[in-house]
Amino acid sequence: MSEKVISRRKFLVTSISAGVLGIVIGAAGAWLAKPEVVAEKTVTETVTREVTRTVTVTTTPLPTVTPTVGFDPVTQRAIDGVKALLASGKARPGDTIRILHVAGSRANLEKAIELWEKHVTKDIKIELITLGQEPDVYTKAMTEAVTKAGTFDAVTIFSTWLGDIVESGLARPIDDFFAKYDPGYTGDVAPIEPLGSYTTLYKGKRYALVFDSDVFTLSYRRDLLTDPKLKDRFRSEYGKELKIPDTWEELIDMAEFFTKLNLTAPSGGRVWGAYFYAEPRFAAYITWLNIFIEAGGILFDLKTMDPKIDTAEGKYAFDIMLRLKPYMPPEAITASWADLYDKFVKGETVFTAAWPSLSKEAHRHTAFVKDVAGSAVLPGVEVEVAGRKKIIRAAPNPVNWVAVISNYAKNPELAYLFFQFATSPDMGKDVILEGVILDLFRKCWFTDPRYRPAFEEGYGPEFVDAYLKSLEISFPDLLIRGGPEYLGKLTVNVNAVMAGTKDPETALSDTAADWDSINKKYGVDAQLEAWKSLAELFPSDVKEVWKAKGYM
Amino acid sequence: MSTRPPKSVSLLANLPINILLYVTLIVPFILMIYLAFLAWNPAGGYEWWQAPIAGLNNFIRAFSDARFIAALGRTVLFTMAVVGVEFLLGLVLAYLLLGEFRGKRAALSVIIYPLMLPWVVVALIFYLFFQDYGPVNNLFLKGIIGEAATNIHWFLSPTTAFITLLIADIWQWTPFMFLILYSGLSAVSKRLIEAAQVLGASNRTIFWRIQLPLIRPLILVALVLRALEAFKVFDIAYVMTGGGPGTSTETLSLYIYRVAIEYHDISYAAALSLIILIILVAVIRVFIWYSFERR
Amino acid sequence: MSIVTKALKYICVGIFLLWILVPVAWMVCLAFKSYPEWRVAYFFPKDPTLSNFIILFEPKRIIGMMGATAIVDPVTLPLINSLIVVGISTVIAVFIGFFTAYGASRYNSPGPFSLFFTLLTRMLPPATFVTPIMVYYSNLKLLDTHLGLILLYAAVTVTYGIWILKGFIDNIPREWEEAALLEGATHSQVIFRVTLPLIKSGLVVSGLFIFLLNWAELLFALVLTNVNAVTLPVHISKYVGAVGQLYGPQAALGIISSLVPLIVGYMIQKHLVTAFTFGMVR
Repeated sequence: MSEKVISRRKFLVTSISAGVLGIVIGAAGAWLAKPEVVAEKTVTETVTREVTRTVTVTTTPLPTVTPTVGFDPVTQRAIDGVKALLASGKARPGDTIRILHVAGSRANLEKAIELWEKHVTKDIKIELITLGQEPDVYTKAMTEAVTKAGTFDAVTIFSTWLGDIVESGLARPIDDFFAKYDPGYTGDVAPIEPLGSYTTLYKGKRYALVFDSDVFTLSYRRDLLTDPKLKDRFRSEYGKELKIPDTWEELIDMAEFFTKLNLTAPSGGRVWGAYFYAEPRFAAYITWLNIFIEAGGILFDLKTMDPKIDTAEGKYAFDIMLRLKPYMPPEAITASWADLYDKFVKGETVFTAAWPSLSKEAHRHTAFVKDVAGSAVLPGVEVEVAGRKKIIRAAPNPVNWVAVISNYAKNPELAYLFFQFATSPDMGKDVILEGVILDLFRKCWFTDPRYRPAFEEGYGPEFVDAYLKSLEISFPDLLIRGGPEYLGKLTVNVNAVMAGTKDPETALSDTAADWDSINKKYGVDAQLEAWKSLAELFPSDVKEVWKAKGYM
Repeated sequence: MSTRPPKSVSLLANLPINILLYVTLIVPFILMIYLAFLAWNPAGGYEWWQAPIAGLNNFIRAFSDARFIAALGRTVLFTMAVVGVEFLLGLVLAYLLLGEFRGKRAALSVIIYPLMLPWVVVALIFYLFFQDYGPVNNLFLKGIIGEAATNIHWFLSPTTAFITLLIADIWQWTPFMFLILYSGLSAVSKRLIEAAQVLGASNRTIFWRIQLPLIRPLILVALVLRALEAFKVFDIAYVMTGGGPGTSTETLSLYIYRVAIEYHDISYAAALSLIILIILVAVIRVFIWYSFERR
Repeated sequence: MSIVTKALKYICVGIFLLWILVPVAWMVCLAFKSYPEWRVAYFFPKDPTLSNFIILFEPKRIIGMMGATAIVDPVTLPLINSLIVVGISTVIAVFIGFFTAYGASRYNSPGPFSLFFTLLTRMLPPATFVTPIMVYYSNLKLLDTHLGLILLYAAVTVTYGIWILKGFIDNIPREWEEAALLEGATHSQVIFRVTLPLIKSGLVVSGLFIFLLNWAELLFALVLTNVNAVTLPVHISKYVGAVGQLYGPQAALGIISSLVPLIVGYMIQKHLVTAFTFGMVR
């Protein structure tokens, strides 16, 4: 009996002491790991105290006319703005700006913080709430819209979510800040239109600052496309020249040619002619949407909001994709989006399309294709407009990062100024080049000799030219309310068609039916209003075709 | 059979559990039920307490939602398959490991190791395994069936994609079954076994006639708990196939996740969850009655 | 046992061990591979590197990794948080589970209906439960706190403790407890000195499961924590770079993360392996 008493006591003692030890270690570790405890418990402050304090503290005089360091005006206005807030007491030293963002942009934001501390002030701190995946940011943002807890001041979101974030009441309209501080959205420093408008406006009001651009370009293996032997062979087999394709039809021929050659890539793997997104998690809609818009399709009727995807243009888009399928690796349909990057960087694809970060990756010194990665504008579709045949090119802009200020922020103006600072011509250049997932969008970065060399070095000169053109013909993601749902349902059906589990007609009518119910869920009129504003921001070529077809 | 419990025991057995569950879970649970009867959408521009009452609309919608029904059937199939296989494998393994032998401790540690890995890591291992460039096609199968192995595209066809999910789950969770069965079997009184051995029973008879029946309640617990977990399978479906091709490997959890998070149709998701809850409760009740109460 | 059966037994176990070890070996190899070698068919890295491990503790020292510019915080805080939260919630769940199981087994209190009800906590798909609990916790100011996670983890896993332990307690004959009662022991003495030691292996098993379940729990931790109470699985999900998930560091962190339950499991093993004798009671 005594044996059991000892064992029970021993058991209890060991478990309790283990628990206590664990807590002690944990507390010590936590204390060590977080030296500066962000005391966010006490939030109350009395304004009256502050006023008396600042009178006695002499700060450096506000730079009024000539800037002491030669920054561009946008940067300077941001710096001045912060200093004015500090001086007037609306902002106190020790205030924190909390930003919710995704892990991929951490490098960029940390660079922005470094520049902020150097050029603006060390008194206002930036705290980054980093999440691993984009859906997590979306969930946290939408939950914040419900709980209104004030967990963060600003959040970087995909432009696709703009409708949802605005309609849920989370996004603060920033027309007032735009008017007060002028972030440089006009003139030479402006973000390239139409991107500057369609990523930041919703129903005519301004809700976001452009933080990134994500327009697709065509990437290709220049060595294969300029090889004389291959050019001769292609000419003899197809009767045409091997060059950057102008239309998707041309691209299919070239993709077929290269795939049949069964070449070996520098990595040891097999070379495929093409790789365009068709995967089910989110990206399959991009390729389809690209071709659909170029063919002159319109997503919703501009008078009734009926989905107009089960049309000739929709079927044509599937036709092209299915004809491309044999010349794409099977991973295009099953693997996650990063696989496209991996294959191109290893030289295993000849033609592909992705975000600008693909060119950045392809130019790393460890990339197999670093000297031969080429960039061009995406191929188009030949359409008849007013009796003439014209090649319409349009570049998709999926999931652009933009910065949104929360309605429940504790420091909204400071958060806005941080982003104006981080996206200004001078500062934005460094922020973008520091990391991988943010890309250039201001016109001066492309044309001004003060900025362009740095970007050429990061991306390659051919890319910078191609990208400028692509931006000018880019069209927005479906960013009206419910955007992720519309596109999510489309993606799943596109993937089903590509995998062979559904035929195109059924897929299109299923998607149209789904879209109808989404329309009804949010109210057809409300959606129509948002869609009409968005359709106006499409590139002019596309709108011309719509007018010719009577859609607009 | 049970007498009135003494006060101290009754308090101990009821108070802590009630406090824990009620403080933590009951309010959100009721909230979730309430949400199911609303037509609430966070992007609708109104608060959840202002949302219009939808009555039974969400539930009625669920029954005509083909994607939901398909996900349900698929998940049921998945659960039955993995629980069955895991149970059999776990039982065989538990039987094999009952006696003492050299290296038993090491073997035990290896066997339960899959349970200790983070689920995302397990999912990504099998994701990489079954890709066209991965080792399953290029190493293992190539050795067995030669070049034909490179023509198998695991994630491209609904059947093979489903099989990859089965394999990943079986790999990860067979140790769970094994552990419960093993600990239950080794808890059977040694004296009983010795007595049976003295009476001349073989090891096999002892296993089938004595040990197995004695741990019957534990087997039931293992099956029910494992089935509940398997029903909620999410990580491997999300990482390995993304529900693809199309939606042919979309499990219930994945679909509800998409409805709640991507389409933020929280009310509908809550209704779907309630339907699932009711189905599960009914099934388990029937199962328990069948195994236990009918003698 | 004849030689043949013994050999057969070893072979079968061996095959199963191999089946377990192959993916594990892949993971270990992956932890030492750099980016170009992540998506390949062979096991051993041709160019092994320690950068995946280094990046866990010193994230700013990105050593030659293609596209890996996602900088996150070092892994020490999530590791400690996980230890605290999972450790405490497991102990709570096991003990509350034990008390409840005892009452249910011996006196049907709580009754079968309530017991059944606890299974509900396991049937909740996290995706829907997340928003209500987020609203609830934010009102209670429990967001991003250790206490909040501990309570939640204990609440959703206590049912494992109840059901597993009830199975074990059912197998202990009541006569032994009644004998002890007759000899003058109080009820609590019976519970703690008679029953508890006899179901040690049950405590160990349920404790281990609850520990493992909570150690791997992701969705609730993801939504309910921000910076202070971040746990290990949430941290693993942050290793995403510009080229998608960073498989190498995730594999490395997977190995480190699995060491903790491994150590716990190894220490408690002897309670699983030893078959206790009932002679102790007499």
